[in-house]
Amino acid sequence: MNDDKTMSWFEWAKAHSDPRVAARSSEALDDLLVLDVSYASFGGLTASSVLAELGARVIRIEPPGGDPAREFSPFGLMHHDTGLAYLAEGRNKHHITLDLEVDEGREIFKKLAAHADVIIETFEPGFLDTLGIGYRQLRDINSRLIYAALHTYGQFGPKAREGRQASEIANQAYSGLIYINGEPEDADRSPHAVPTKTGSWYGWYAEGLFAAYGILAALLYRQQSGRGQMVDVSGAECIMKFIDYNLGWYHMGGGVKERLGNYDPSVFPYTFIQCKDGYTFMAAYNEEAFATLMEIIGRPELTQDPRFSTFMKRTSYESEEALQRILEEWSLQYTVDEVIDKVGEAIAEKEGRAAAVVTGKVCRPSQTFEEQNWWDRGVFRKIQDPVYGELSLQGPVWKMTGTPPRIKWVCRPVGADNEAVYGRLLGLGPSDLQRLRAQGTI
Amino acid sequence: MDAENYFDWTEKLFDPDNVFAKPEALKGIRVLELCTRVFGPVTADLLADLGAEVIKIELPGVGDLMRYVAPRGFFYKNISPAFTHMNHNKYHVAIDIRKPKGAELLKQLVARSDVLVENFRPGTMDRWGVGYRQLKEVNPRLVYQANSGFGQWSAYRDRPSYDATSQAMSGFSATTGFPGRPPLKIGIWIGDYTGALFATLGILAALYARNKTGSGQMIDVSQGESLIRIQDWTWLLWSLFGKERRRVGNVDVAMVPSGVFRAKDGFVAVSAVDDGSFQGLCDAMEADELQDDAEMESLSGRLKDENQEKIYARLSRWVAGCTVRQVEDAGRRHGFSAQRVASARDHYDDEHLRFRKAVWEFEDPLYGPVVEYGPGPKFSETPGRMRWIAKPVGFHNDYVFRNLLGLDSEAVKALEDEGIVGAWADRIGAKPPDDWDGQRGRIF
Repeated sequence: MNDDKTMSWFEWAKAHSDPRVAARSSEALDDLLVLDVSYASFGGLTASSVLAELGARVIRIEPPGGDPAREFSPFGLMHHDTGLAYLAEGRNKHHITLDLEVDEGREIFKKLAAHADVIIETFEPGFLDTLGIGYRQLRDINSRLIYAALHTYGQFGPKAREGRQASEIANQAYSGLIYINGEPEDADRSPHAVPTKTGSWYGWYAEGLFAAYGILAALLYRQQSGRGQMVDVSGAECIMKFIDYNLGWYHMGGGVKERLGNYDPSVFPYTFIQCKDGYTFMAAYNEEAFATLMEIIGRPELTQDPRFSTFMKRTSYESEEALQRILEEWSLQYTVDEVIDKVGEAIAEKEGRAAAVVTGKVCRPSQTFEEQNWWDRGVFRKIQDPVYGELSLQGPVWKMTGTPPRIKWVCRPVGADNEAVYGRLLGLGPSDLQRLRAQGTI
Repeated sequence: MDAENYFDWTEKLFDPDNVFAKPEALKGIRVLELCTRVFGPVTADLLADLGAEVIKIELPGVGDLMRYVAPRGFFYKNISPAFTHMNHNKYHVAIDIRKPKGAELLKQLVARSDVLVENFRPGTMDRWGVGYRQLKEVNPRLVYQANSGFGQWSAYRDRPSYDATSQAMSGFSATTGFPGRPPLKIGIWIGDYTGALFATLGILAALYARNKTGSGQMIDVSQGESLIRIQDWTWLLWSLFGKERRRVGNVDVAMVPSGVFRAKDGFVAVSAVDDGSFQGLCDAMEADELQDDAEMESLSGRLKDENQEKIYARLSRWVAGCTVRQVEDAGRRHGFSAQRVASARDHYDDEHLRFRKAVWEFEDPLYGPVVEYGPGPKFSETPGRMRWIAKPVGFHNDYVFRNLLGLDSEAVKALEDEGIVGAWADRIGAKPPDDWDGQRGRIF
C-alpha cells in the first residue's frame, strides 16, 4: 500500500485501526454461536461480552423472570428496569428466556446446544449435570462444543466437592489480591487499615477475561483437531497469575508479600503523593531518575543522604515513609497539574534513565470520563440503543487493523429475542412460542 | 443414567496428574517477545502457558530490566522471583535489534513466526525499520501486538506510563480504598496484568481469524484503556445519573451483602447476594430482625441505603465474634459464600490448589525445585503446563540460532564480537547461579 510510504507510523496506525471505521472491516469471530447461560455472575457476562465485541453471535439465556444480575446496581438505581452493571455488559447479545428446570426447557436447551460452538455457565458445579444438560451429556450431542464453567473453586478438587458457594468477593479473597492490598495495620487497628478489596469487580472481570482466553485457545485447538472440550475457570486461580512474586518469593526465600498501602517493597519512589487539590502518582526509582526528582523538588543533597543514597536503601519501610513526607512537603504547595507540568519540563531536558520520572493524575471517575483522549480513542463512546436510548459507556479495548471489535447495541430486555432466536434456530413458530409462554417455559 | 459422581468424573476428565500426556492448545504457534518489565512479558507468558513457543529477545548483557526488580532485594540463585513469575517456558535469546544486522536476524525470525509482542514507546519499532509496516512485508500472516501506556496513536503516546499511571488515570485507584483516606494504589501491577490479558485475547482472536483468512494484523492495546473497560457500572453512574463513584471501603453497594470483614483471627470475605443465600446467612447469624423485615427479602430492598447499613453493621458484628474457620463453615452449612482472605502461605499449603495444579511444584533444569502458579483456566483436552522458569540473558542463544537461523557457533561468535548478539552480563539478575557448571539446563 502506498500510504505506507507517506504516512508516519502514528497516522498509519490510526488510519488502519480507528474504531470509528470498524464497521468497514470483517469480524474475527463472526462464524461462532455462543450460548451464555450464566446466572447472577458478571464473570460469565464479561466472557460473553468479549466474544460478542469480537463478532460472535451471543445468545443470553435467562430464566423466565430474568437474570438476577440485572438487579445488581449501585444503590438500586435502574434505567428502564435494568441495573447499570448489566447495561455495561449486555452489548451485542440477543436475549432469550428458558426454564432449564422443566423437561421441555431442557430439551430445547439441548437443541440449542447442538448448534452452539461455545457454552458459558456459572452455576454450582454439577448443577447442569444433574439436570442432564452438563458437558458430560452435551458432548454426546455436539463433540465440537467448547463448554466453559466458571466457579471460584472450579469443577474438580477437594474444595469443589465441599459445595462451597462462589462469589465475586470470594474470587478476590482466595486469590491473594485482598491480602496484599490496602494500608498496613496501625496501632489503633483502624477500620481503614485492613486488607482491602478493589472498588470494581475484579473478581468477576478477571474470571470472565480468563474464561474468554480459555475459550479462544480451545477454539484454536478445535480449528486444527475438530474437537471441543471443557474449560474449567476459577476466577480466584486466574487472579493468582497476577499476584506478582507472591508464591515464588515464599518458596524461594520464605518472604510473604504483605500490604503496604501506597508504598512498594521493591522500588521507591513509586507512590501516590498528595498535592493541593488531589493526588498524583510519582515514580523515580533508578539512581538517575531519583537524582532528577530531587533536583525538581530542590533537594539535590538528598541523593547523598544515607537513608536514600542507593536504590536498595530507598526500599526500607523507614526510608519510604521519610521520603513520602519529603515529597509531600513539596507537592502540597502545588496543584496536581502543576506538579505534573514541573516533572514534564524537567524530564524534557533529560535523556535515558534520568528521564524516568513518571507521573499520572489520580482521577476521579468524572475526571477520567471527561478526558478527551479516551473519547478520541473510542474507549468511551456514545451509543444510540433502540430500547435504552443514548448511553455513554466503556468501549472495547483493542484497536485492530484487520478484524476490529465493535458495539452494535447496548442491551435487550428479558426475552426480547425469543421469537427471532427460537424461530431462526429451532423453527418454532408463533403458536409453539405461545404454548411455551403459557407453560412458563419461556 | 450417569451413575458416576460428577466430581469423580471431572477429576478423570481433567486428570491433573497426566497433563503431559495431552496435547497443547497453542502448539506450533511461535511468538517473538520484544518486551521488558510486566505488560509485554505477561502477554507472552499467557501464550507460553498454553503451549506456544515463546522466544524472548532481550538486549545482550543486562536484558529485561524486570530482572532487577526484587522484593526487598531478594534474589534466588541470582534470579528474582518477580522475574520468574512472568517468564515461564520461554527461550531466552539476546539480540540488539537496534543495529542493522540485529534487525536482519529479527526479520529472519519473523518470517518463521506467528506472533510478535512488543512494548516499546509507540513508533520505536517503526523507526528502527522493524515496525508492523516493515514486518508484514516479510510475513503477511504475522499478528503484531503493540502494548503501550496510552496506545499507538493516542494524544499521550509519548508520555511514559508505569502500571500505577494507568491505575491513577483510569479512575481505578480513586474508587478503591476507604472514604477519607487516600486513593489506593492496588497491591499488584493491575494495569499491566489486565492490559496483558486483553492483549492476549486480541492475539488469540486474530489467530483464529487468520486461520480463516490467511492474513495477520496489528493490535494496539493500552494499560489505562484496559482498566477503564473493566470498571463495571462506574461510567453509567456518571453519564446517566451524574453521580460520582466514591471509595466505600470493603463493602459492595451494588449487591448486598458482599464484602470483607474482620474476624477474631483474620479477615474473611462474605457474600450472600441472591435471596436464598441471604436467608441462609440470616439463619447463620440468627438475625431474626432482618429475616422478619419484608423489605429485606429482595435484593432491591437490600440495596436501599438504610437497609445496606443495617445489614453490613449486623454482618460485621457477627463476623467479629467468630473465627475465620467458623464463618467458612457456616457458609457451607447455610449456603452462602465465605472465604478466608488468603496469603501466599495459605496458597502454598492448600491441598485443593495443589491438586488442581493451580499451585504447581516442578523441577527446573537450572534452578531445581520451584513452585509457581499454574495456568489460569484448566482444560480437559489441552491443559496448559509449566516446563521451566526464566533463564539468564541469552541462555538459549545457541539453541535458537542453530535451529531457526542456521547459524553455527563460529557465526554466532562473530556476531558476538560485533555486539549484535550476546549473553548475560556478570550481574545478579542476569547471570546463572554461582555454582553453575556451564552445562546444566542447556538444550541442544
